[in-house]
Amino acid sequence: MTLRKSPLSLTVNGKPVGPIDVPDDMMLLDVLHEYLGLTGSRMACGQGICHACAVILDGPAGPREIRSCITGAHFFSNKSIRTVEGHAERDAQGNVVRLSPVQQAFIEHFSFQCGYCTPGFVTAATVLVERLKKEPVARRDLEAAIDKAMGQHICRCTGYVRYFEAVRDLVLATPGLVKG
Amino acid sequence: MIRLSPRLRRFALAIVVVAGIVAIGALAVMAGLFSTSVVDASARTPLTADQTKGLVERGRYLVRAADCAACHTADGGAPLAGGRPFPMPFGTLYATNITPDPETGIGRWSRADFQRALRDGTAPRGHLYPAMPYVSYRQLTADDTDAIFAYVMSRPPIRQQNRANSFPFDYVRPTLAFWNLINLPAKGFVPDTAKPADWNRGKYLVDALGHCGECHTPRDLTLGMIQQRYLQGTRIEQVDAPDVTPAGLSRMGFDAAALARYLPAGTGPQGVMNFSMYDVVHNSTRWLTQGDAAAMAAYLMGSRPVASSAPAAPAAAASGLPAAGRQTYLQLCSACHGIDGEGIAHVAPPMRTNASLRLSSPRNLLVVVTGGLPERPLPGGERFQAMPAFGHLLDDRQIADLATWLRGTWGGMPAAVTQDEVRAVRSTLP
Repeated sequence: MTLRKSPLSLTVNGKPVGPIDVPDDMMLLDVLHEYLGLTGSRMACGQGICHACAVILDGPAGPREIRSCITGAHFFSNKSIRTVEGHAERDAQGNVVRLSPVQQAFIEHFSFQCGYCTPGFVTAATVLVERLKKEPVARRDLEAAIDKAMGQHICRCTGYVRYFEAVRDLVLATPGLVKG
Repeated sequence: MIRLSPRLRRFALAIVVVAGIVAIGALAVMAGLFSTSVVDASARTPLTADQTKGLVERGRYLVRAADCAACHTADGGAPLAGGRPFPMPFGTLYATNITPDPETGIGRWSRADFQRALRDGTAPRGHLYPAMPYVSYRQLTADDTDAIFAYVMSRPPIRQQNRANSFPFDYVRPTLAFWNLINLPAKGFVPDTAKPADWNRGKYLVDALGHCGECHTPRDLTLGMIQQRYLQGTRIEQVDAPDVTPAGLSRMGFDAAALARYLPAGTGPQGVMNFSMYDVVHNSTRWLTQGDAAAMAAYLMGSRPVASSAPAAPAAAASGLPAAGRQTYLQLCSACHGIDGEGIAHVAPPMRTNASLRLSSPRNLLVVVTGGLPERPLPGGERFQAMPAFGHLLDDRQIADLATWLRGTWGGMPAAVTQDEVRAVRSTLP
């Protein structure tokens, strides 16, 4: 089937992008890589299992994780997303001056080895932390909440425990995320 | 004392007499005077140890073909120890322990007790609720029932107390005699000698062992199966058990050969067996011999060939379908199910040959799109990955358009799916 291109406009990491002509069936991940030069989100399984491609979709219901390898770019028309490139603080020249708390926690806990899955884990953990800011969770439910947020993410180097510990320590050290 | 005119007295007397006859009749029914048993006297002789031993392996096969585990094994529970809940409009029914534990199971049951339970619906302590498909099992042969008994009694006894049903009126049990009078056929299985042997074997597998009609045949007000609408499909547990008459199966894209492959595999070009049928594949149909699967398929497809349903219209020809539905398909579905609906082997089933798009109602399609599906491991190492739920990403209009486009494009079902239908499905999901 030959598919036409349609103009696409969306917000990526707080900046408006487009309109750019994008094939109707192109997945968001390919647009990030090939059109926008944002190569941080990873293509791995390409079928929605591993979550390495996950990005944040910001909407009225709050931030949510969405898999960019199986979700068409045009689904994001006039929507706002954040990729792994959008988390750290940058100076006027675009240089990273400070990592986000989630990124910093993963580094401090040596959570990753090869790092291929890390953008997906950063996405999931960031969504969790932002959700907990609005709706804190009871301490006894924290591990379950982390598992729910990150349990579907696959890490072939098996860094799971350190990813989980990093997020748990970050949540416990950040005031207001846990009640009771 | 009130004085009544002679006429009134005669009238009052008549009422008393009629009421008395009705009461005596009712008691007679409940006492079982009109009930028929298909179990003959030979069942009173216990099986010898040698007979039992010789029957166990056949019994294992029959227990699978009859899918006893579907109800009598709870999720994560010990095999055949019961406990699985069945929520009903009037309370929750719990499947019973049928392991040979003498205290909590059926360890003290005789051969005749077991025959009567399966084929007459009467256990030693009284009538069984018809959630136990004894209307279907009535058609089991005495020999097969003995083999099932031998196998069940060979299992390890599990000491697990039956859970009390939460019915407000458990004393309705005796009144099931009336239900049986209406809904329990007088006779067991009678082979049709005019039909080939595999047709008869198939009918036996479908009607007696597989008890397919218990879900696929609509029920009347008394909850009895409507024989005039045999296997024509009905709604059960919020989804549609499809029409599995020859016409219905043909519309879904089956012929006898395809169905004989689909039953044990749980997948084919028609999609993946889901909802309750997913468990049926694992508990039952995957264990069928090739011959039995073929016999079931031959019987279900009928001896007269059905005109094969017209192939679904190609996408280009499907005019008038909502363009928004196609856009949603490209954006959210095509990565796994393919731009042309071809699917990905071992990942996502094809859409262009999918049976769910060809059903008269869009219900099952809407349930899957809105609520998603878990990962599905299947026999032989086959596996389909989890289907995400899209209910939170799409509104009713978008889901309705998507379903309309899918059914019109690949299902040959161009009628528009309404937002009301989507709303109805949403209300059933957690």
